[in-house]
Amino acid sequence: MKKTNTHPTTRRVFLGAMAGAGTALGAGLLSPKLAHADPGNGHAQCTLAKPIPGGVAPFAPFAIFIHHNPLNPAVALASINDPSQITDFDGFVGLTHIRGTGTGTNPATGATQALNFQADMGFSQGRFIGIDGGQHEGTFAFV
Amino acid sequence: MYSGPVGLVNQIHDFNVHIDSNDVFWMVRVPDSAVKVDFDQAQASLQVEGLNVFDDHDIANSLTFGLGLPTIPGVAPVRAQVSFDVEWNGALAEADIHNAGQSFQGSFFSTVTTINWSAEEDGFQFQSEPPNPATNLISVLGHEQNGVFFS
Repeated sequence: MKKTNTHPTTRRVFLGAMAGAGTALGAGLLSPKLAHADPGNGHAQCTLAKPIPGGVAPFAPFAIFIHHNPLNPAVALASINDPSQITDFDGFVGLTHIRGTGTGTNPATGATQALNFQADMGFSQGRFIGIDGGQHEGTFAFV
Repeated sequence: MYSGPVGLVNQIHDFNVHIDSNDVFWMVRVPDSAVKVDFDQAQASLQVEGLNVFDDHDIANSLTFGLGLPTIPGVAPVRAQVSFDVEWNGALAEADIHNAGQSFQGSFFSTVTTINWSAEEDGFQFQSEPPNPATNLISVLGHEQNGVFFS
């Protein structure tokens, strides 16, 4: 029977489902996601903000729904989707979709390698209504 | 980051701050001084040094929390640090948008953007080429209101 995914899988739903799967499949599978914690930047402060309702599911049905509208060079500026990742937001937003080259180095051996990159980055700076219902001001980097 | 042409099969590093517990995508609070905006000139900058991030290896593992895809092996994230200077500089086009369907409005520029960035983790360092405006695919700078601020 064909199963249609009609509900976006958010991070919380995905983690909950994977936690259930991990019970059956073994704890080893869970180790990567357990590392998906605060990288040490006071990331928890970001939890005051709320995600935009829209977004995309780039690897559906295997991956999560992300509350982000990637920029598309084929779309005219007047027709872009909301570039903010934060809802109930009033402020400045910057997004970039950029490619380039660079050099990777193994610091132990000094060996270098030419590499390509694509960066999807940006920022939001302004006021927003947080999950606590209060109005806050802040600056966020999209990394 | 890719060992060949940009594409998932060639990706060997994916640096990001992960999705926070409230599902906000890849956003991390930074000091207000990290961002400077001169909106009338369609200029802005984002400068951060030594930001703690994860290297998920590739976007598929990032969005499956290291479980991978049927064609992409699962990889656990490792910790890394990145520094970057992103510059939005000058309008290529301008548009005022009022999108009731997505409840957002504002004034937006498409701009030329440059980036200079570096990364470091155990056993690996990266330095990008000097800022090169020719590598900009699409960039947007906006002053917007959404959600309850949309009218």
